[in-house]
Amino acid sequence: MRRGSYLRAALAIGVVAGLASTAAPVRAQEPGVSDTEITIGAIGALTGPLAFIGTPGRDGMTLALNEINQKGGVCGRKLKLNYEHASTPAESLAAVKKLVEQDKVFALVLASGSTGAAAAADYVRQVGVPTYNLYGSTPIIREPFSKNVFHGAIVPVEVAAPGLISMFYDEGHKPQKIGVLAGTYAFPQATLKAVEDHLKAQKVDYALEKFDQSARDFTSQLVSFGRQKVDSVLILGSFSEAGFAIKQARELGMTNIRWVLDGSAVSRAIVPIIGNADGIRGYFNNPAFPGQNDTVKEFEARLKTFLGSMPQGRPNNYDMIAYGSTYVVAEAIQGTGCQLTRDKFLASWSSLKDAGPTKMGGLDVSFPESFTETDHQGNYRLGATVVKNGEWQVYRVIERP
Amino acid sequence: MAELGLVLIAGAKFGAIYALAALGLVVVHKATKTVNFAHGAFAMLGAFASFLVVVHWQWPYWMAYVLIPPLIGIVAALIEFLILRPLRRADMFTVVIATVFLGIALSEAFRLTYNTELLAVPGMFVGMPFIFGGVFVTQETLWVIVGALVISSACVVLFRYGRLGRGMRAMASNVRGAQLCGYSVDRVYMFAWFLGGAMAGLAGVFVAPVSGVSVELSIALISAGFVAGVIGGFDSLKGAILGGLLLGITESLAAAYISSAFKNCISFLLLFIVLMWRPEGLFPEKVARRV
Repeated sequence: MRRGSYLRAALAIGVVAGLASTAAPVRAQEPGVSDTEITIGAIGALTGPLAFIGTPGRDGMTLALNEINQKGGVCGRKLKLNYEHASTPAESLAAVKKLVEQDKVFALVLASGSTGAAAAADYVRQVGVPTYNLYGSTPIIREPFSKNVFHGAIVPVEVAAPGLISMFYDEGHKPQKIGVLAGTYAFPQATLKAVEDHLKAQKVDYALEKFDQSARDFTSQLVSFGRQKVDSVLILGSFSEAGFAIKQARELGMTNIRWVLDGSAVSRAIVPIIGNADGIRGYFNNPAFPGQNDTVKEFEARLKTFLGSMPQGRPNNYDMIAYGSTYVVAEAIQGTGCQLTRDKFLASWSSLKDAGPTKMGGLDVSFPESFTETDHQGNYRLGATVVKNGEWQVYRVIERP
Repeated sequence: MAELGLVLIAGAKFGAIYALAALGLVVVHKATKTVNFAHGAFAMLGAFASFLVVVHWQWPYWMAYVLIPPLIGIVAALIEFLILRPLRRADMFTVVIATVFLGIALSEAFRLTYNTELLAVPGMFVGMPFIFGGVFVTQETLWVIVGALVISSACVVLFRYGRLGRGMRAMASNVRGAQLCGYSVDRVYMFAWFLGGAMAGLAGVFVAPVSGVSVELSIALISAGFVAGVIGGFDSLKGAILGGLLLGITESLAAAYISSAFKNCISFLLLFIVLMWRPEGLFPEKVARRV
């Protein structure tokens, strides 16, 4: 090789090395992180039967992000939310792929319930994007364990099921036969399996009836319960389904029933459906129900200011979880020491202890969350609630069994 | 026996609402030969208006029954004037598609303005139930069954004996002949849409405390109303009422004595059986021809 060729080759190597060295910091920048912003992606249903989960999910997250950003953001950057509507499994997977591959978000929040979480589970494990499962109780998103997937206020069904059944026995009540009225769609079915396992293990006599999503006529199921002398009923479904089932039961003369509802049905919106709802129980995923103490009253006031007017049945469980969980994500980002890499973020998240809004100036409307390297379930507690004088109240905290 | 009574009463309650929904569909079809797939959305608007009157503004409940049907009727007549009249010379497929997407547009407009899963509306009557031989019948249930059926029957009488009713029947029979007799196509079509819309609005007021107000109500009522109409005979008002009752009671009996999972498919099974056995419906209008 001639001398000139050596020189040209050396020059080319130098130029490439120079370009590589200048490009290195750009490559090191994590997806979703810029000098001014950190982008968080989220999915949830904004329309359709699951909008009662996804819409509060969006609103609670946005309220928390606005508060955090008004205080200067995290690590000198504003937090930005890209929220995609997704209702069906196909929409959920497509929305998650869009957020990860096109929007290149730093972290992903599944505010979609079990349906969307189950659809996205394999993909998020595969690509390793830090993922927060806000509302999905399905085991599909929880098992097998993945170092990039975290779960917040919604407890695993194995924890929720004994909690639900325990409420039948509160205040000395002794159920003779429990009727289980379960929706045929994803999240009631996820809880149903754990409930049946628990009832069988405890040798409790029970009868099972099912209904389709958005059902409004429960006559046949209730008549069947009446035939089987059921005196206590557990409803696994939404507040509208539970509300119309209880209303119809009373119309059929079933008046001395102890009703216990899944967390998704514990909402203010059930009271206008039933009329007198006093005595109905259920679990809540937060320590206090809206209106129950000053903190949640302040939260309600802030949400109302943000929304302009408060829709019927809001704020609900999902508003409060989304708000609290967004602060948990912010705390995990802050815990990286502003070294905003995915690994640092996951490590920071895995070491959070009693994370919650007050640490960053928010309102503690959710249970504090703690994580370890091997346990990514942030919360194991439930609030046992009952309707008194037309208002839900948390009357005891159900600890992890 | 009491159990069967409970199942039948529950079936009749939903059946009466189906009858009202079917009646509006049949009225429009009978006069204009158009199947109005936006009918469910009109009923949903009626239910939403009922929420506004009873819950939001807290006006007396009877005002919902008095104000909402004519209001929804006017909305339907306006839609006929603005959207369907220009399409009158278009082929049937175009008109049907227009009503399908009109229904979707109305539902989505509601969803965008009031984005919530469900709006609850209390019943008109909340007193003690009646007990007949162990069968509980609440005042609300009785009102829905009796009220819906009485109003439906009144509509049949109006259609049969009223001047505009005669006009609609004449138009359905022979447009040119009706025009030669002095009936205005525009006026009769608009009145048919007004009446269909009013029936939908009334169905909405009746169904609001029974099912709540949601976007899904639109689909639920159009499918039930359509099936009830076909079962009864799509050109028969009497058939629409009987078809609605038959559908509601059959659904209830199937769910109680076969399986609750069978409830949804029984209506379509019934539809297929009727279409195969008596395509003209179970209670078609008798057609008399002078020969």
